[in-house]
Amino acid sequence: MIAAMRNVTKLYGRNYGVRNLNLTLPAGEVVGLLGVNGSGKTTVLKLLAGLLVPTSGEVSVLGAPPRHNRARIAFLGETDALYRWMNPRDAERLMSGLYPDFRPARYRDLLDQLRVPGVKAGAMSKGERMRLRLAMSLARDALLYLFDEPLGGIDLVSRERIIRSLVAEWRTDATVIVATHAVAESEGLFDRVVFLDRGELVLDARAEDLRAQGKSVRATFLEVLG
Amino acid sequence: MTQDWKLDMDLGPIYRQIVRHVQQAIARGDLNPGDRLPSARALAQQLRVNPNTIVHAYSQLEREGLVETKRGLGTFIRSDVTPAASRHELLSAAARRYAQEVRALGVGRAEAVRAVQEVFDDRSDA
Repeated sequence: MIAAMRNVTKLYGRNYGVRNLNLTLPAGEVVGLLGVNGSGKTTVLKLLAGLLVPTSGEVSVLGAPPRHNRARIAFLGETDALYRWMNPRDAERLMSGLYPDFRPARYRDLLDQLRVPGVKAGAMSKGERMRLRLAMSLARDALLYLFDEPLGGIDLVSRERIIRSLVAEWRTDATVIVATHAVAESEGLFDRVVFLDRGELVLDARAEDLRAQGKSVRATFLEVLG
Repeated sequence: MTQDWKLDMDLGPIYRQIVRHVQQAIARGDLNPGDRLPSARALAQQLRVNPNTIVHAYSQLEREGLVETKRGLGTFIRSDVTPAASRHELLSAAARRYAQEVRALGVGRAEAVRAVQEVFDDRSDA
């Protein structure tokens, strides 16, 4: 087991970020964390990354609080924090300095695979910047990868490349969680889908089981959350 | 060959659609005994689906006696597989589904066969 959440509640003032959430994440799974904006997806990822502390309940990664295992967690946040002057080579130096598990050879492969241009981040399109950030994350030898909307608001070609790289880099010893509302493009990627609605878990199912009942993940999403 | 494989998320589990693609390719003679299937990872990347799903499809094909996995070498179409047998099996399965529909409508054999002939005639006219 890579990570678990037990009866986790996170309050922001008097508002629920997530409410009484239970989730177990075994190794080798690609999990789609699905929900509309404000449903609590980002809160779940940040709790697992150790960037937020639950108000009540317990979050564990590799059997310990997430902040004890930061070195095994790769978190790709929704906000683009790349420096405008930074090109992919600068990013490599930065990542090598920050993370002992960063693999430069894999990073260069990923830059190729994702066709990231060798220019400054400030001169890249939104999709290209996302591809660069994804290469930076996937080049780490983490056991828990957390991606917040890696497919949001970017061009179709970037989306396809990102999905293909996520498949290519899939490992049996790691868990990948992708929070997204781009359900139609990404549903084939997921072993399992977790639906959130206003901070509560409303469905946790195997994607193939949903399709065996004659409904795509997309159709189920519209039915449950629409 | 796998380039033509299409998936439709509204048409049941992906693993079953892949099994069907392989069965049809064998029936058409596009895949022959001894041919190697793409690795699970390569096919997963091409179809943009989870590699676990491809592994599931391949193990189902193995259970059906169509492929065998050789450790470290890959997944191959078995030497005792013939296109004629595969074709016949897929065709009878389709015929059984049709017969079931015919029975549900309370239609007789002659009328059912005539309906099939009409469909073929329509297609050749078009």
